[in-house]
Amino acid sequence: MGIWHRRTTAAERAAEKELEELREWRRNRFRILVCIDGTDASYEGLRFAKEIGQGDECDIILLYVRPIDQGLRSGGLQIRVARENMLEWGLELPGVQYLKKGLALLTEEKAMAEQWSAKHTHTNLRGDPLGDNKVEYRHESGKSIVLKLKTAPDAASGILDQYELGPYNVMILGAPSRWQGELRSFWDAGVAQKVAMLSPCSVLITREQRDGKGFLICTNGTEHSMDALRRAAVLAHLTRNPITLVSVALDKAERGMAEQQVSEAKAMLAEDGIKVAEALTRVGDPVAEIKKLSKDYALTVVSDSGKSRLKRFIRGSVAFGVMGQARNSVLNVR
Amino acid sequence: MLIVRSQVNLYYFWEKRWFFISMAVGAAMLYLPVPEGLSQEGLIVLAMSVVATILFVTEPIPLPTVALLIVVGQILLLGIESTKVAKSLMTDSVLFIMGSLMLAVAVVKQKLDKRIAWLIVQATGTQTVWICFGISLVSGILASFIGEHTVAAMMLPVGITLISLTSEDRNKVRGLAAVVLFSICYGCSVAGIGTPSGGARNAIMIGYWKEFFFDPGNPDAGRYLVDYVHWMAYAYPVFLLQLPFVTMILFLTFKPEYRNLSRAVARLRIQVLSEGPMTPADWMSILLFFLVLMGWIFASEIVGMGTVAILGASAFLIAGLVRWEDVNSGVNWGVVLLYAAAISLGVQMKDTGAAQWIAENFIGLLSPIGADQGLGLWAAVSVLTTGVTNTMSNGAAVAVLGPIVLKVASVAGESPIVIGFVTAISSAFAYLTVVGTPACTIVFAAGYLKTSDFLKVGWRMVIMSTLLMLVAALLYWPLLGV
Repeated sequence: MGIWHRRTTAAERAAEKELEELREWRRNRFRILVCIDGTDASYEGLRFAKEIGQGDECDIILLYVRPIDQGLRSGGLQIRVARENMLEWGLELPGVQYLKKGLALLTEEKAMAEQWSAKHTHTNLRGDPLGDNKVEYRHESGKSIVLKLKTAPDAASGILDQYELGPYNVMILGAPSRWQGELRSFWDAGVAQKVAMLSPCSVLITREQRDGKGFLICTNGTEHSMDALRRAAVLAHLTRNPITLVSVALDKAERGMAEQQVSEAKAMLAEDGIKVAEALTRVGDPVAEIKKLSKDYALTVVSDSGKSRLKRFIRGSVAFGVMGQARNSVLNVR
Repeated sequence: MLIVRSQVNLYYFWEKRWFFISMAVGAAMLYLPVPEGLSQEGLIVLAMSVVATILFVTEPIPLPTVALLIVVGQILLLGIESTKVAKSLMTDSVLFIMGSLMLAVAVVKQKLDKRIAWLIVQATGTQTVWICFGISLVSGILASFIGEHTVAAMMLPVGITLISLTSEDRNKVRGLAAVVLFSICYGCSVAGIGTPSGGARNAIMIGYWKEFFFDPGNPDAGRYLVDYVHWMAYAYPVFLLQLPFVTMILFLTFKPEYRNLSRAVARLRIQVLSEGPMTPADWMSILLFFLVLMGWIFASEIVGMGTVAILGASAFLIAGLVRWEDVNSGVNWGVVLLYAAAISLGVQMKDTGAAQWIAENFIGLLSPIGADQGLGLWAAVSVLTTGVTNTMSNGAAVAVLGPIVLKVASVAGESPIVIGFVTAISSAFAYLTVVGTPACTIVFAAGYLKTSDFLKVGWRMVIMSTLLMLVAALLYWPLLGV
């Protein structure tokens, strides 16, 4: 990574133009990037992707990022030597099995063979015997499922880099075992946390709790929050999940305002023909209150207020607090 | 502001924050008043060491860049002539590290791993516990001579084959995968200290002993020229002592789902039989490595261990057993440069008195708790090294700590040989993290283990290894005349 944005050559500009056309086409589709790392939480994310990505206009991309060689950590012997040895034993490299398992969760093998066409793409990469690999399965309806094995300096960079290659509507990652506070993340932010911080699109952090009363959608009445709420409500409506709205007032004096926010949100959704099962208001610390409520729901929806990292560092962020502390899956809408 | 944002990648500053923090810390240290007992040059070297340590741990820039900065720092900040700095980069220890890495690639490329695997299961039978002990024992013995990274790379497919032939479903073999793979990496880790060729850290410590204490005019100082056999006499028993405990701890921590691997062993046999008999090239590579080993044992005192290592690597290349392209792509040359620069900085720490100053202050801190000599000091040095090695590679840990602990030994009136061994051996106790030892990093790359698995079993390994090493230091090493 350089300090200056790089100037591009003519060839790069041509490739960029081609990519931009592809991106333009992709913008008309609902694209879900599911990051698979073999954990149960990441497969939970895949199940969620399957649920929301049933339509023909939805594409699901399964991504596994393999860190590039770390010569010092492996004592000066490149890890590629070990990986080449594994390949010569006829063993699959890490990630391949995870992606195959993911594909099996999305669709049956027989249906895949009969109704989907497959296209393999390989990109050579120095430092790794396998490079980047992609298998795109395309259905005659236009829907596609992509398995991508990517090499990057670290998993978070690889995931964020993948966004640059094709815009996504939502990125799904399994919840980490620990979610660091803003101060700790300065030292060491985990993969999910780093992606959640820097991703330009919505991010869903999945946890294994799936049972619950549908979607808990949080609002604070701002324009951004209402827009996020509408998009989350459409998602809930399409997947036939009941919707509960909640607004948290910091103290009793603000309770009236919170009640007004949820009733405005309810009215807005009613105009769209979306029914709200319940509308709640709570008083107290927003993160703690939402956390308490979240245990009864399959998914909590928050919206990023658009605070800069510095502001989040100093004043904290409700969306980030909820993503880290909730017991269920959390969707941060951007 | 908008123009600046369109031209400048602001995210760059966030990603490189530890680089800027380390530079700010270094600059601040240079402007501090020189502490009593420390020279201006000593303060500069101290600042460079602190900066290098922060960069080793946080890795905001490619690590070989740290080596380049150390070289530039010595020339620009300390005013040392560039030719002198360049000369200080290439020592016998560095040649040895370079030659050992080339040999490592050559050995892995010989594809002897299937035969080794078959030898293990033939000797151990099909019980999981004995196979794991056999894997640790054989991995350990090999790793002690050809380096833990080499053996981890060779044995990894063996372990994964045994696991995947038992069950394709990873959830059904979680415990089995843990015991088999940890048997490889911990077997290699405890063995890496067995001989000088077991790991770069050993060569670094041997280089420091020579640089710090050897005086050609003093016959008594000859004991600081530690050769291959001398090292083995101290360290090999410590490795062997730990082996049975490795298997015991692994089976107490992870409960393998399968107590017998007969199905996997039968399939492995078919794979090995398909390889056919040993070829002349196989025998040639075994012979060459045996000759290198003999060279280290009998000739290293005369020509240096590094010379034997690079001669061995040359022999593999001349015999056509490995291609230069494979060696070139398999060795991370930046690591060689990094170790060279770290050793060079370590020597500057001695020459400028910085190591002496830190040592005196370290002893001052330890004396109120009675840990300024004997067993207490050994334990303190071991704990310090274990802490540092779990945050960076063990070679870097020894390169950073070596000059300090050897001066601590001098200040405390302890044997630098004992303290040096305590440091080098403790640097292998990086069982808690994936990045601690090369073997752990390589085995983790297979994707079967979680980072939490290392913590789960690592703390037991740390306690076991520390206790056994201290027992050896207390009861066995005095028998060698320390």
